[in-house]
Amino acid sequence: MSPLAFALRGIVRQPGRAILGIAGIAATGALLFDMLMLSQGLVISMERLLAGVGFDIRVTATQASPMAGPAIPNATGAVAVLEKVPGVEHVVPIRVGQALVDIDNHSDQVTFMGANAAAHGPWTLVEGREVRPEDSANPPGVIVNRNLANRHGLAVGGNLTLRGDCIDNSSVPPTVFRVEGIADFPFDQSLQLTAVTTLRSFAHACGDVNADEADMLMLASSPGADPAVVVEAIRGVRPDLTAVTNEELVARFQQVEFSYFRQISFVLATITMFFGLLLITVLLSVSTNQRLGEIAALRALGFSRARMVSDVLWRSTLLVGTGGLIALPLGVVLATWLDRLLQTMPGIPANLRFFVFAPRTLVVYVALLTVTTAVAAIYPMQTVARLPISSTLRSEVIG
Amino acid sequence: MTGPIVEARGISRVFPMPAGPVTAVHDVSIRIDHAEYLAIWGPSGCGKSTLLHMLGCVDTPSSGSLLFENRDVSALPDAERSDMRLKKIGFVFQRFFLLPMLSAWENVELPQAEAGVGREARRRRTAELLEYVGLSHRTHHRPSQLSGGEMQRVAVARALANNPVLLLADEPTGELDRATGEQIAELFDRVQRDGTAVVIVTHDQAIASRARRTLVMRDGRVEREAVAT
Repeated sequence: MSPLAFALRGIVRQPGRAILGIAGIAATGALLFDMLMLSQGLVISMERLLAGVGFDIRVTATQASPMAGPAIPNATGAVAVLEKVPGVEHVVPIRVGQALVDIDNHSDQVTFMGANAAAHGPWTLVEGREVRPEDSANPPGVIVNRNLANRHGLAVGGNLTLRGDCIDNSSVPPTVFRVEGIADFPFDQSLQLTAVTTLRSFAHACGDVNADEADMLMLASSPGADPAVVVEAIRGVRPDLTAVTNEELVARFQQVEFSYFRQISFVLATITMFFGLLLITVLLSVSTNQRLGEIAALRALGFSRARMVSDVLWRSTLLVGTGGLIALPLGVVLATWLDRLLQTMPGIPANLRFFVFAPRTLVVYVALLTVTTAVAAIYPMQTVARLPISSTLRSEVIG
Repeated sequence: MTGPIVEARGISRVFPMPAGPVTAVHDVSIRIDHAEYLAIWGPSGCGKSTLLHMLGCVDTPSSGSLLFENRDVSALPDAERSDMRLKKIGFVFQRFFLLPMLSAWENVELPQAEAGVGREARRRRTAELLEYVGLSHRTHHRPSQLSGGEMQRVAVARALANNPVLLLADEPTGELDRATGEQIAELFDRVQRDGTAVVIVTHDQAIASRARRTLVMRDGRVEREAVAT
């Protein structure tokens, strides 16, 4: 009988205890797996979101996060300069404000954007067509997100009246737009209403016709061009602006905005592991102490010390391994539920995931469980290794 | 192999205790030859089991020398002593110590697997041993499904699994009624007749009297030695 089979028979001998141990490890393992997914989930998800937009460089006026700092003045000039930088395929200047849409007796707030996207903007068109900067139709065109279309029953070709709410204490007459397209905006929150038009129409609707500003310039580098090299070139021609690649942006998020979640996941993962470790140590210790006579007898029969110690390790492996396997689907279910819960938090893009599986997560998970298996078995293994055969056999008979 | 299986010269075993060291076995010399039948008899606490454990290489003497097949047991590392016990010595315990999750067959097969005996050889030997102890009809029963006598028979079969030269039994009838104890004692007689040296520790004079040679122990010393004629 192999050591594994022997350990398995030993565990099955007390099914109630084995089930409890496995269930405990499954629960703690699921939490551990989720915390590992959380530790990198936001970063991976953000990387995917940024990559999915189709723009790999962002230019702002300062080092503040995009949309959080002052606008870029003379945006037209900046776009003209940047379009000539080698490796830049196209530049989309973007302005972001607020607008109100009236329906019945109440108003809904809309995230209102202006963007001059010659080819495509940082959104995914699902219906209709793009709004071009050269469009001079009246009413001007607008692209809305699905939330806005659904909430106000809008379809391509329909009209949408927006009241610009971009400047404090301003009073701007409503502007009627023609819905040209419906699109998914990657950074929209779950209930967010979004509309985007050209910069000119945005300025008109917001009442600042003369302003030539952009909150952010989004750049797509040419195929084959290294965004980091392009950014260096941009810094050369416009040192007054701040250009970052997606990678740099993610790194910044990782260091600042997401560090909170990383710390939480680290603390919870450590606590979870500790509880799992305690659970298995207690189970193995109790089981070992109940079998001391049996172990001493096997040693007397010639089973080596290493063999008996390895039996404890195999038992630990079986308990943690089985629990750890069951924990995976449990963890996925739990992560899905938690993700849904967290996505409803204000300010969180609906497409951002907190719990993201990556192969590295599984590797770290297996490594941590392996450590748990070994560390949890140390004390009972020591008990077995140091067991005095003769006196144990005597005490078993007397006791 | 010629010469004695075990030769103990002036062995003692002292246990350190909080109230001071306790000498469990004092200056015992003993020789066990092949196919010998020896009983160690004496009252509880006289050091019989401690002596048996030393003879079986489970424990080492605090002083004196103990040779097993001419090898100094005290000088052997733990792994070698384990290997010696596995292949040369069989143990039968008062409380059987069969593994409850294994069947009678598996309990007998286990030491053979540990010794690296091949599957087919194991199968043959296990069947032969269970037949030998009269339990070929109970092979797939677990210890909880066996009577005390049957459990001790399985324990004897397990002790003989690797063809030991020496079978040690510590109060093997201690948990059994007299009639069942007699049957087990007969089994030991048979084992000895078939060529394996048997050493039985007992406080039952009737069981001890079956051996050709009896060591009578008191207070850790061999008080006298009786040889049946």
